[in-house]
Amino acid sequence: MDRLAQVCERVAASPGRLKKVAAVSEYLRDLPDRDLARAVRFLSARPVDGGERKLSVGYSVLRDAALCATGWDAETYRICHRETGDTGETISLLAKNQPGAEPLTLEQADQLYQRVLNAGRTALKVEILAEAIRRHRPLTIKYFVKVITGNLRIGLQEKMVEEAVAAATGLPPAAVRAANNKLGDLARVALSARKGTLEEIEARLFHPMDFMLAQPVAALEEIENPGEWLVEDKYDGIRSQVHWSGGRVQIFSRGRDDVTQAFPELVEVFEGFPAAGIVDGEILAYRDNRAVNFSVFQQRLARKKVSASLRESVPVAFFGYDALYAGGRLLLELPIEARRAELESMLGAVGHPIYVSAVWTATRREEIDAYFQEARGRGNEGLLLKRRGSVYEPGRRSENWLKVKRPFGALDVVITAAEQGNGRRATMLSDYTFAVRDGERYLNVGKAYSGLTDPEIRQLTQLLKNLTTDRFGRVYLVKPEVVLEVAFDGVQKSPRHKSGYALRFPRILNWRRDKKPEECDTLDTVRELYEKAVEHNG
Amino acid sequence: MLVAYHPAGIHLPELDLWLDPKEPVERAWISHAHSDHARGLHRNVLATPETLRLYRLRWPENEEIAQSLQPLRHGESLHLGPAKLTAIPAGHIVGAAQLLVEQAGERLVYTGDLKLMPPLCGTATEVARCDRLIIESTFGLPIFHFLTREEARARIAAFATATLEDGGVPVFLGYPLGRGQEIVEVLANAGIPCAVHGSIARFLPVYEAAGCRFPGWSPYEARNTRGKALVLTPSMRRGLEASGKDFRIAYVSGWAALDNARTRAGAEELIPYSDHAGFAELLTMARESGASRIDLVHGYTEPLARILRQQGFDACAPAAQVSRATDEEGE
Repeated sequence: MDRLAQVCERVAASPGRLKKVAAVSEYLRDLPDRDLARAVRFLSARPVDGGERKLSVGYSVLRDAALCATGWDAETYRICHRETGDTGETISLLAKNQPGAEPLTLEQADQLYQRVLNAGRTALKVEILAEAIRRHRPLTIKYFVKVITGNLRIGLQEKMVEEAVAAATGLPPAAVRAANNKLGDLARVALSARKGTLEEIEARLFHPMDFMLAQPVAALEEIENPGEWLVEDKYDGIRSQVHWSGGRVQIFSRGRDDVTQAFPELVEVFEGFPAAGIVDGEILAYRDNRAVNFSVFQQRLARKKVSASLRESVPVAFFGYDALYAGGRLLLELPIEARRAELESMLGAVGHPIYVSAVWTATRREEIDAYFQEARGRGNEGLLLKRRGSVYEPGRRSENWLKVKRPFGALDVVITAAEQGNGRRATMLSDYTFAVRDGERYLNVGKAYSGLTDPEIRQLTQLLKNLTTDRFGRVYLVKPEVVLEVAFDGVQKSPRHKSGYALRFPRILNWRRDKKPEECDTLDTVRELYEKAVEHNG
Repeated sequence: MLVAYHPAGIHLPELDLWLDPKEPVERAWISHAHSDHARGLHRNVLATPETLRLYRLRWPENEEIAQSLQPLRHGESLHLGPAKLTAIPAGHIVGAAQLLVEQAGERLVYTGDLKLMPPLCGTATEVARCDRLIIESTFGLPIFHFLTREEARARIAAFATATLEDGGVPVFLGYPLGRGQEIVEVLANAGIPCAVHGSIARFLPVYEAAGCRFPGWSPYEARNTRGKALVLTPSMRRGLEASGKDFRIAYVSGWAALDNARTRAGAEELIPYSDHAGFAELLTMARESGASRIDLVHGYTEPLARILRQQGFDACAPAAQVSRATDEEGE
């Protein structure tokens, strides 16, 4: 682990992917087999094997362990964390005041993560982590903690680790990537690559695969050759992967979370399926043949146990749109048309609550536009466009899938508070709380994180600091002066905001330097939008 | 001894002496020649000879204004009214000094900007015993750990050599007074060809007079950069990035102790060497000065005052300021 930390530092200081990949592959080449798997796992910022069990170590556990190990108080920790913007770095730098010197091997690090995983009580987790922080070298601790937080922040994407594994084992990058796509476990892929058994890798049932993702398209005009695409509704639900085999069923959502328990009515149906399969699709709240507003669905998702009455009041359905595994083999390399055919044959005849999402074709852009309107009319978000003949690319935001999700609306709002960002943006005010006008008052309706360029954020930071009226740690309250144009996907009731409403998925479109705060939109407008949506969606 | 904190600076009313005032005053002590400390045409200026020389370079001679400049060498004393004033090396940049004020049996030290570990260029700091310590806290958080000068020397030379061998152009961004000359000193004495921007080179003679040697440096020319390490000012970064050549930037600064300096400074190599005291050095100063009262006057004043109080010092932040004022360490 000591050496891995040094390699990570070198990767962080190396500009450009070639050098980063070279530094990692050089390191991986000489590792014994067991350490190779561990190193690859840690470089992917995964502390424990497989996706099913989680360490359950959040920022407060790490902070408590750091305080316990280093003796600093919570206020000092808070200020230091504010300056670095990274938990691993903060803890490492604080530990440097009384540095530990004991070496830490990859095997020992692995055992530590296991002990944390198996520790039932939070207090015990804190104790194990504090002990590690005290004993081992600060640089090692930096990365030991970063692995837990799930992001190394050294500009090393999983793709680059794949390339490094390929370079270290002398295999073509495409072969490693293909194997990783199937297995979703780069550490095992690395081992097979070294043993020369990459060809034998098959996707395994009940191990979640990464989802293929769609690139957003702002306007239909951007779509060239309308005839190239298969058009589907874009559902506003939970993206899910269903695995089944002879009566056993597991459902995974994005982030590889096992959500099987949340959807008993779907499990009951898949349990009756013959043979084995993996399908990709969306789970929606669904009633009277149409999707129900996502905020209603959220009420059900908020519950851990699904009662009979909840099943009754918020029924769900699964809309399948891709098949990844059928007839004992993986379908990823098949064109979408062939995968859809498999999907039809597996799910097509089942009936409620299992559906196959409908597909259309178009020759002209106007037709796509009409589909878009219809999709909105059915209570869906917009459209997904999938390129004819394309393969399934797990974990990729591919240009073979496009999502058209015209915003629900846009409003001019005014910034009332700003918060320091994290990591790269730690020294800038990059997160904004914003409000609409209600008479003389400005009432908050949401918070947005990005959408502006770094130079704009830097400029805004300066401006907002000058407008600051009060400060609570990372949060600066500012005089309402700066007007933003934000787009959003919907309006929800919100007890958290004084206005009573919150915008869904707000994103900043423009900094409206030409507008004064008096000119921003009003609470009445927000209320109207909400009522319109409720009427529309039921 | 009375000490008054004003927006314009620190004032010792019994002596009518201002410490690093931001506005023109009757009588001022200037701790060092950076422009946030050495500013304003004061009537009477007290400083080390090196600081006075640099101060004069920044402020062109103006015969209309009568100004008296009184040099006080490191280790020398003079009397001002009821008090005895002594200049003590501060290690920050060439000529930087702390001021020891002795009056009626009470000893007060004003550090100005301070570096406790020996600097690459200039005089090593001494710790004076005192009753009251007015100390800066630019890096007063326990996350700021800096390299020694030997470590910094090795890192600077290694980055320059490796980058040159790789066919790239190493670039060091340093403020015109202090960091810039130290980097030139390292490169020149390691035999690495270096080209130095004029705003940095103009101060080299002052460093030479203080005993530093810069063998074989050449003036920076934008067209002739191959095979040389460049020592430039931070404002030139954008121009370099736009040129499209293989420039590799190293950031030598106290702020380089944090990884976010990489994006903030646009640098790939971070070399955390500072002309200010790191956290451990500040604690050492506080302890070894023996002061019963400590005032913190720059940077993380409140957080450091809290930490010192927890360790049993009578510490406060008399002129509270909003955390980090500027990126521009020392300038």
